[in-house]
Formats: sequence, structure tokens, C-alpha cells
Amino acid sequence: MIEAYFIHLLILIGIYLILALSLQLAMGFAGLINLGHIAFFAVGAYTSSLLTMSGVPFALSILLAGIFAMLFGYLLSVPTNKLKGDYLSLATLAFNFVVYSVVLNWVSLTKGPFGLPNIPKPSIFGFSFSSDFQFLMLTLIIVLITYFILTRLINSPFGKVIEATRDNELAARALGKNTMKVKSITLAMSAFFAGVAGCLYAHFITYINPSSFTIMQLVPILCIVIIGGLASFRGTIIATIVLVLLPEPLRFIGFSTSIIGPMRQVIYAVILLIILLYKPKGFLGKVELE
Amino acid sequence: MTSIILQLTINSLIAGAIYVLVAVGFSLIYSVNNFIHFAYGATIACGAYMLYFFYNILGLNFALAVILTILFTAFLGYLMNLIIYRQLRKRKTSSSILLIASVGLLILLESLIVVFFGAGIKNIGLFKTADAVEIFGATITPLQIFIVIFSFLLLFAVYVFIKKTKIGKAMRAVSDNKEVAEIVGISAEKIYSWSFFIGSAIAGTASVLIGLEENLSPIMGTNLMIKGFAAAIIGGIGSIRGAFIGAFLLGIVENFGIWFLPSGYKDAIVFILLFIFLIFRPQGILGIKLRKD
Repeated sequence: MIEAYFIHLLILIGIYLILALSLQLAMGFAGLINLGHIAFFAVGAYTSSLLTMSGVPFALSILLAGIFAMLFGYLLSVPTNKLKGDYLSLATLAFNFVVYSVVLNWVSLTKGPFGLPNIPKPSIFGFSFSSDFQFLMLTLIIVLITYFILTRLINSPFGKVIEATRDNELAARALGKNTMKVKSITLAMSAFFAGVAGCLYAHFITYINPSSFTIMQLVPILCIVIIGGLASFRGTIIATIVLVLLPEPLRFIGFSTSIIGPMRQVIYAVILLIILLYKPKGFLGKVELE
Repeated sequence: MTSIILQLTINSLIAGAIYVLVAVGFSLIYSVNNFIHFAYGATIACGAYMLYFFYNILGLNFALAVILTILFTAFLGYLMNLIIYRQLRKRKTSSSILLIASVGLLILLESLIVVFFGAGIKNIGLFKTADAVEIFGATITPLQIFIVIFSFLLLFAVYVFIKKTKIGKAMRAVSDNKEVAEIVGISAEKIYSWSFFIGSAIAGTASVLIGLEENLSPIMGTNLMIKGFAAAIIGGIGSIRGAFIGAFLLGIVENFGIWFLPSGYKDAIVFILLFIFLIFRPQGILGIKLRKD
């Protein structure tokens, strides 16, 4: 029993890791305040669920989930490339609401508020990841791949251009870098991994509905990215583990389940505010938001 | 056919009036402070729940409950500024950090509502929808008529306040150029406080009217805030007339849009309109001043 609970937590940490690392890429490294990250998560979750439920193998559907989310990321980046700061954040938030209302209202495809039940557990080339432990291994592998790709990306020359664009877009342009393209690619990459995380989430919980993808879901990952510190993957990893585990004791001190959800949000929000007030760079952050 | 058009027009007018209520206070705070105060929506939600608390749970006299609600939201806004934003400004943080802090406040307040009042829908139930009057086949309730009239009066009052009173003038000065305003002896911090106090008091009036018109749900604030802000941006942020035009345009587009799309897409239509404006005309319909980056 207690073992199953820990495996469950570890899988959640893994999914949050992918989600937070991908947001870190957009927010920390590229300086794009993207409040629509959950929309990509939703696109990935719905894409993969619908595909596997109509018989597409999981190995393909997880890739397509990422690619579809990436497409949305690119589409979002085209019109919002010129926007900065609060206007960008508002546009991305509006994007989140658009995706949410489409998911809620396109009933013939998504079954609307009823959601999609019985999403199959993943199986790759005949090997089924049906037990939680097997699923944990799958998650772990994908987390490692994500981490590997993202760190390689950031340490590559292109990564330097991403950071240069964040620090001084004009200067980067003056050096002949196409900053619009850089931002688009970064946002698309970030969306890709969010889509993959969404796919994992859907196949782990095996049930999704629109309320799994509201702005409320953004708070934990926003909190993780800020607390871990901008432009630091290490900080993000530590913050993910700490923040996913932090509200867990609430379960054991006798709060009713209907209170635990909002209490978690209260804890995250308070921590976020305290960090912004007293440690605005987060714990391992290199830069501050402009 | 004509009765449908009339009904949609009336619905647009009501929706527009509600967005005016939200947009005016929001626009006031934004234009003085220059960052998006996301928690404004939660202020309205808190106000509506406090009205429910005072009137339905404590059983206070309605007028007293309304006054207490407005005082509550005004002080809530004032305190958010005092405890969070002022401390952040002291360190000269960017408006992006202020914005993220306001998202934190929004979530905090909404979650606290769920903790104290539960996630279920509440109804203040002072008026019955059965009281509706019929005009050429279109229906409107007395409360809705009052909301429309009140929103016009509120617009006028805020307009006069901004143009004529000393604090209103100081607000415009700080919003134009903080340094110069401070040189002539205006305390910017004091004006920020005032903008939060007055803007949030307007949120209180909005929460009373919206709370009577619609059901209360903990997340009502986010939706209202995005629409109010969309209205403010579309009309031209920081301008009272802009907020007016934006709010009614939103109401019209949203209500006539459901002629072409299922009514569930109401919200999506609004956000797409906002999107179009952010991209092609971020300064809004009436805006002239481009924001400095």
C-alpha cells in the first residue's frame, strides 16, 4: 500500500518534471512569460488519448502528442512574437482559455465536460506498461531523455542565442540573429515536451476532462519554475521534488479530500508570494524577470 | 426575427454593462500602476462571497451588507498593495514580477474561497427571474435594467473623479510620468494606495451587482477579470471612454457571435477578439500612446 503510494508520487514528480523543465525553457531561458503552458499539456493529453483509443500504437501517439502540441506552440508564437511582458502573458493566458473552451465544447470529439474515460495504459512493441512500477520506469526514461535534450540544447550555440535574445533582443538582432525565429523555435520546443507530459498524464490517470487543464493547474509549475530559479534546470528539478511532496502531509493530518485540493493551491500561492518578496531570483536562479 | 435581434441586443447591453463594471476599476488600477493586477477578478469574487456571507449567512440588512461588502473589497485591494506590491516596488522589480505576484494572489484568494465556502455554486437569491418585464417580445429583469443604468452612472462618476478631483488629477499625473509627479510634490506611493482603494471599491459595487445577477462560483473572478481586461484593452487601456466602448463591443460580439457558433463558444469568441487586438492594435481602439517597452 505505502509502496504503491510512493510509486504514484514518483510518477507525478516525473510528469511535473517534464512539464516544469519545458516551461523553464520558455520562461527562464527565453524570457517568455507563457501563462498558456497548460494548453499544450492539454493538447498532448487529448491528442494521445484520442489516437490510442482509435487504435494508434502508443509509441507513435506520444510522438504525435508532442508534435501536435509543438504545432500549437508555433502557431501561438507567430502572432505573439512581438509582444512583451504583460501583454505576452495576457495573450498566452487567453490562448489557454481558447483551448479550454474548445476542449469543453467540441463535444463530438472530446466528449466535452464528461471527459475521456478508459484511456489505455501504454504498451510499446508488445511490452505493456500496465503496472505502476512499469509506468514509473517509462516516465523515468522520458524524463531523462527530456533532460538530456534540453541541457544539450541550452549548452549548444543555439542555446546561447536563446539566452542572448532574452537578455537583449536588440543586441542579438544587431549580431544578425533572427530573434523572432529563435523565440518561435523555443516556444515550439517547450510546447513539444509539455505535450509529451500531457500524454503521460492522460495514460497514467486514464481519465481526462477539461477541468484537468485550467489555469489552476498552472500554479504548481509556475511556482516550481520561479522557486527553483529562472534559467536553472537544476533548480527546477529540486523545486519539483520539494513542491510535489510538500502538500502531501495534508493527507495524513486529517483534512477532508475536498479541502486538500484548495489547500495545496493556498500553499503554492503563499510560497510563490514569499519567494517573490524575499528571494526573487529563486534558489538557483541566474536571472530576474524583466 | 426582430424579437430575437432585440433580445440579443438587450443581452449585449447587459453583458456590456457587467464588463463595464469590471473594466472601469481594473483600468483605473492598471493605468496608475502599469502592471496587470490579475487578482482584481478575485477581489470581485471575494466581494460577492462576502455579500453572501453578510446577507445570507449572518442575515444582516441588505443595505448594510452591501456597504460592508464594498468596504471589504476596498480594504482587500488596499492591503494587497500594501503587503505585496509596495514591498516589490521598493526593490524596483519589473512589472513582470508584479504580474506573477498578482497571479499568485488570484489563486490564493480563489482557493481561500473554496476552503471557506466550498466549491459548490451559491445563490444570493434576492431577486426572482420571474419578475422579468417584456418589451416587444424580449425579456429583461428590473435588476438588469438597474445594472445597465448603474454602469452608466458609474462611468460618469469615475470620469468626473479622474478629471475634476485632486486625487484624480494626481493619478493621471503619476500615470503619465511618475518622476515629474514626484518632483511637484505628489507622493506616488500614496496615489498607488488610493488607486487600489478606489479601484477595489468599484470592484465591490461590481461584485454586489454581479452576485445578484449570476450564481457565485469560486472561479467566477478569473473569467470576469479576463473579460474586463479584454474590454479595457480593446477599448484602449487607461481611458474611461475606451473601457466603455470595449465593454459594449465585447458584449455585442459575444452575444451575436452565438448566431454562428454554439453558445458554449461565447468565451472563446471574446478571447479570439482580444487576441486579434493584442496583435494588430495593442493600444486599443482609442489608445494613442504606445506603451514604452
